[in-house]
Amino acid sequence: MQIDKGEFVFLIGSSGSGKSTFLRLLLKEDNPTKGVVTVNGKNLGTMSRWQVPKLRRTMGCVFQDFRLLRNKTVAENVAFALEVINKPQRTIKRVVPEVLEMVGLDGKENRLPNELSGGEQQRVAIARAFVNRPLVLLADEPTGNLDPETSQDIMLLLERINRTGTTVVMATHDYHIVDSMRRRVIELNDGVVSRDQSRGVYGVGR
Amino acid sequence: MRVNFVFSEVAAGLRRNLTMTVAMILTTGISLGLMGTGLLIAHMISDMREIYYDKVQVSIFLKDDVTDQQRDAIAAQLDSSPEVKDYIYESKDEAFKRFTQQFKEQPALIANTPADALPESFRIELVNPERYEVIAQQFPAGQNGVDDVRDEGDFLDRLFSLLNGARNATIAVAVVQALAALLLISNTIQLAAFNRRNETNIMRLVGASRWYTQLPFILEAALAGLIGAALAVGGLVLTKVLFVDKTLAGPIKAGIIPPVDWSAIAAISPVIAAVGVGLAAVAAAVTLRLYVRL
Repeated sequence: MQIDKGEFVFLIGSSGSGKSTFLRLLLKEDNPTKGVVTVNGKNLGTMSRWQVPKLRRTMGCVFQDFRLLRNKTVAENVAFALEVINKPQRTIKRVVPEVLEMVGLDGKENRLPNELSGGEQQRVAIARAFVNRPLVLLADEPTGNLDPETSQDIMLLLERINRTGTTVVMATHDYHIVDSMRRRVIELNDGVVSRDQSRGVYGVGR
Repeated sequence: MRVNFVFSEVAAGLRRNLTMTVAMILTTGISLGLMGTGLLIAHMISDMREIYYDKVQVSIFLKDDVTDQQRDAIAAQLDSSPEVKDYIYESKDEAFKRFTQQFKEQPALIANTPADALPESFRIELVNPERYEVIAQQFPAGQNGVDDVRDEGDFLDRLFSLLNGARNATIAVAVVQALAALLLISNTIQLAAFNRRNETNIMRLVGASRWYTQLPFILEAALAGLIGAALAVGGLVLTKVLFVDKTLAGPIKAGIIPPVDWSAIAAISPVIAAVGVGLAAVAAAVTLRLYVRL
């Protein structure tokens, strides 16, 4: 199975079917018991531990529970992702406001995460994942904690990111979203790909 | 590497686990202090060897009723012996003078010792200090005015084996204490890593290098090791000022025990610091490698 550059892919399946594991394999957080995972032309199986950080710099991650640092402001949370990979302060000062504007959080740079709504917190998380312009954005149920309307806004944002050429792989249970967007759908069942359909829907025969 | 970031992480980590940090620093300090004491004793032993071994190796004590003729004969025999490198003759007067010098802190002892109680003697330095037997055979005890031939090295060996034992015991306790310190360091680092798992998880995901992720923890342990080393050196200084310089002042002045010099403490301080920082940092690195996913 191959996911091409610039694709938008939904990863569906019941709980425990292996969606999160699939994402973790792409990050080399886990190693496959068999088979080969290749990201950006590089075989993760033969990649040394020291090259893993370099791999992850080409990928961004968003989670259901946002995973923001509670004691840092919105801008600091986004800047943190760049600081810890040694980006120069000049670059950080330039790109953080840009990406915050892109996700619609301009004016809220100095808020703390617990002063924001769930949708806004997820926007911060997306900004942090996207600020280094990754080739791939991995999203693990990014709308799982959000109401339908807010979820729609988040999906628009992810589509926008996808249009910049970033591959998006999103694990989800939200069939409204899958059905309305009509993108490629990969369904997992007990760790096995049971369906791979372009312009698919959530459940066949629904 | 952003220095500010690393240091604020280190400070925050130490503050957050204050009790563990204090325990870690104290055990490290005690362990290093004992190690320093062991090193100082070792240093003292080698100083004492220089003081004693070089001076006298074999003493021939003469009888009270030794004749001038017998004394001259012994001196002549020593002069001609190829085993003897050098010797000095010590009369009763000189022996008593040396005695009063050595024990001038204890006037009662001197007052109770008659001036002629100490025997006259030849103090001999051998070409080869191990060849005591030869002298003992050449001057049989009880004959020709010789009262006794004593291998001073034998006495010194016993003294030094006592000191060596003290040194080894100190270092053994230091090692056990060091083990406790290492386990505490390991525990503290695990705790620190757990407290900061949100930050480190994100760092891992955005591709911060392992080095960047681990450095704050390793520095945290190294800093604790450094503070522990400072405590240890402080402890040694206090021991010198309050115990060695006061309680042992007499024997030191008499030249029986070499003094603990500031230079000796200055010499081992960097060693203590290096061991403290090195062990703590290595313990932290190994802990992160074994128990913590960073």
